[in-house]
Amino acid sequence: MNNNRILILNGPGLSDLSAYQGYNYGALSLEKIERECSKLCKSEGLELEFRQTDDDDQMFRWIAKDSDKFAGLIINPVGYSQAANVEFEMYRSSIRMIAHLRKPVVEVHITNIFNQGTDITKPLQAPKGEMGFICGLGYHGYLLAIQSVANKLRAEQN
Amino acid sequence: MKVFFINGPNLNLLGTREPEIYGKDTLQDIANRCEQRGAELGLDVTFMQSNYEGQLVEWVQEGIQNANAIVINAGAYTHTSVAIHDALRAYEGYKIELHISNPHLREAFRHTSYVSPTVDAVVAGLGVGGYDLLIELLPSMLK
Repeated sequence: MNNNRILILNGPGLSDLSAYQGYNYGALSLEKIERECSKLCKSEGLELEFRQTDDDDQMFRWIAKDSDKFAGLIINPVGYSQAANVEFEMYRSSIRMIAHLRKPVVEVHITNIFNQGTDITKPLQAPKGEMGFICGLGYHGYLLAIQSVANKLRAEQN
Repeated sequence: MKVFFINGPNLNLLGTREPEIYGKDTLQDIANRCEQRGAELGLDVTFMQSNYEGQLVEWVQEGIQNANAIVINAGAYTHTSVAIHDALRAYEGYKIELHISNPHLREAFRHTSYVSPTVDAVVAGLGVGGYDLLIELLPSMLK
């Protein structure tokens, strides 16, 4: 694999996952998610960079500045993909940039964001480019995303 | 563990309809893989497809008695069917909404899902590989 590095980005608020306890996934923490992700990446021959920030600007800076160093991006943007404001536009345009590079991108949410009173008529829109979407699988969602990115990168090489 | 894979309208055209979006595998290819791999993992997979909304409703209802989990790709009915929404609400087992492409990236009329608020999880945009990935995942979600 030429570039086997993938970036997992966790957005604002995800440093503390205590609010997700009792969501049927056992005790959840970002450390646990990172541990599980590292394990799977290792067995898939991927190098993992796992990051979290509570600073919105930092998240966008990372996407803009660092995404060319990685073969794929997995992102938990918390509320950004649904936000109807300037931040949503920022998220949308930065993701679009990466999708245009034809790198695999997967958006992951720990819970099902559609059964918590979210307006289901205003979901993520990012025209052109491919992008996966996973929600409601707890930390398994990250693992599914990694597996999907790994398969895609492998298919590209053959 | 019994798992229903319920597929909606036009998925019978898979492999021939817009292969750049949906890939070259036919639904039968996917069904064979899911049933085979499922059996290895201890899952009794029943793979179904219909173009009729009422048939999808009846399969979900059948799942109330006969399935530990439902994976549903309701196709275009995802964006229109209150009847499927209601049937899924009545089904209390584990349920996942699956799409081959990511509807949120497509036309605006695909941006609303009546299925999403009724299920435990949504997986979209991972290609037909989404089916294979879910088969691998289901045993840990059904523990």
